[in-house]
Amino acid sequence: MSESIKPSRKITDSRIWRSFFRHGWPDNPLDRSLTMTSNVFFHLHPVKVSRKSLAWSYSFGLGVISVILFLVLVFTGVLLMFYYVPSIERAYPAMNTIQLSVPMGQFTRNMHRWSAHLMVLAVVLHMVRVFYTGAYKPPREFNWVVGVVLLLFTLGASFTGYLLPWDQLSYWAITVGSNIAGYAPVVGSTVREMLLGGQEVGQDALIRFYTLHIALLPVLMVVAMSVHLWRVRKDGGLAVNHNEHNG
Amino acid sequence: MNTTDEVFPKQTGKSYALVELMPGSGPMVGKGPEDTVFSFPIVLLIEGILFLGVTLVVFIFSLVKQAPLDAIANPLITADPAKAPWYFVGLQELLEHMHPLLAGILAPTSLILFLLAIPYIDHARENAGVWFTSVRGRRIAILSAVYTVIVMPVFILLDNAYSLRELLRNSAPVWVAQGLLPALIIALILMIPLTVLRMSKANRREVMICLFTVTLMAAIIFTLSGFFLRGPGFKMYPPWAMPNNYNPIDGL
Ligand code: HEM
Repeated sequence: MSESIKPSRKITDSRIWRSFFRHGWPDNPLDRSLTMTSNVFFHLHPVKVSRKSLAWSYSFGLGVISVILFLVLVFTGVLLMFYYVPSIERAYPAMNTIQLSVPMGQFTRNMHRWSAHLMVLAVVLHMVRVFYTGAYKPPREFNWVVGVVLLLFTLGASFTGYLLPWDQLSYWAITVGSNIAGYAPVVGSTVREMLLGGQEVGQDALIRFYTLHIALLPVLMVVAMSVHLWRVRKDGGLAVNHNEHNG
Repeated sequence: MNTTDEVFPKQTGKSYALVELMPGSGPMVGKGPEDTVFSFPIVLLIEGILFLGVTLVVFIFSLVKQAPLDAIANPLITADPAKAPWYFVGLQELLEHMHPLLAGILAPTSLILFLLAIPYIDHARENAGVWFTSVRGRRIAILSAVYTVIVMPVFILLDNAYSLRELLRNSAPVWVAQGLLPALIIALILMIPLTVLRMSKANRREVMICLFTVTLMAAIIFTLSGFFLRGPGFKMYPPWAMPNNYNPIDGL
């Protein structure tokens, strides 16, 4: 019997497999550690975390929930991009097509919209929990700052997406919203014009909002989130670890 | 002998090493390996469950509630009411009560600067990672919340009923009626709890808890008011008596 090696072993011992995965089956401490440190996706986690930091009543998982909602948004957003056209003549008809003739189109749009609202909510609640647990204290000041930037990006992504259906709701919401920027002294009208690409919400505004929404802001968010999560690990995991009171 | 062996000699019988003690502490100081768990598979498993839970909630929600799609955009027909997205509707509500420069620019700018400044003002390390830091901290949070939930709606309703803008239309310039006076009222609303804290010798964390709570609750109240109480013409109506069958939820 010892002569015949399990076929699965043949695969996992192969030169090709070993070039992909530099660790063995993670059933022992060493391979479990290597699973985390030798894989780029898992590398955002430390090898070990304290039980305290996993307590639901400490973080309510809100940061992780924000990441998850972001992933759902990217997935459903890419699906919508296959049909959406950022033109003032074609955007609204494209929305109708998505809702009426694309299989699961309405459902995909629903997922995208409700996840977007939920993400704004989750990020704000995450900030609230970080504040009240005093988790911004040294050495985490910088990660709080990264967080504030992430909050602004999240609002920006949500706001730019709001215009895309090109219906009355989105048109007037963006008109009202961007008018607020116009109130700034001296630079107000310039800022507003830069955002809209003109005096009014029109084709130029639509293409700007679209580009911000599907390219610039998501890329910036991925970068900022990576820094944020990496920094959580570098700052020694969650702040709760430093304290005896939570034992 | 290859170079690796020279740098890391295998057997030298050497039992000492050149080390130095550094002042300060690293993130892992005081945190032994006790009471820790492997991220693989435990944390990943928890995240996986969270992923399933979150997507399930969005999934079910998307089955029962459709995303709204209004008539095609028409620059010639103003939507009534024209509302900003819900997370900015608090600002829109604020605009009803004071000069646009104050509500639209100074308020959001100071909010962001305040958020950025928090960790640099309150940098004491004690009790990081403890909810509300102390029992006193929790009391301050609750009292600040209760205070704001009473004061802010009173401000909104009073200003709506007896608008400063209208009352002082002929007796004071715009920058007084809509700039200086509302700014003074907001300052007063903030000064009252801060004075109480100062008299009871509060530390910086406690001052931050108070300021953050007042700001948070005010933001929530302004958002709720702008979202649920404002109807056609962005005028205030009780939610059960909205004209034209206007339902704010339809615009989410
Ligand atoms: C897109 C937005 C954001 C994402 C995806 C995100 C993600 C995360 C995650 C996954 C964690 C680990 C702990 C947890 O789940 O609670 C975390 C921790 C943290 N976040 Fe965020 N975050 C975001 C926004 C923010 C904001 C707005 C702030 C504050 C202004 C912030 C400040 C922090 C801090 C200071 C920690 C460390 C907490 C501790 O040590 O207890 N983050 N974040």
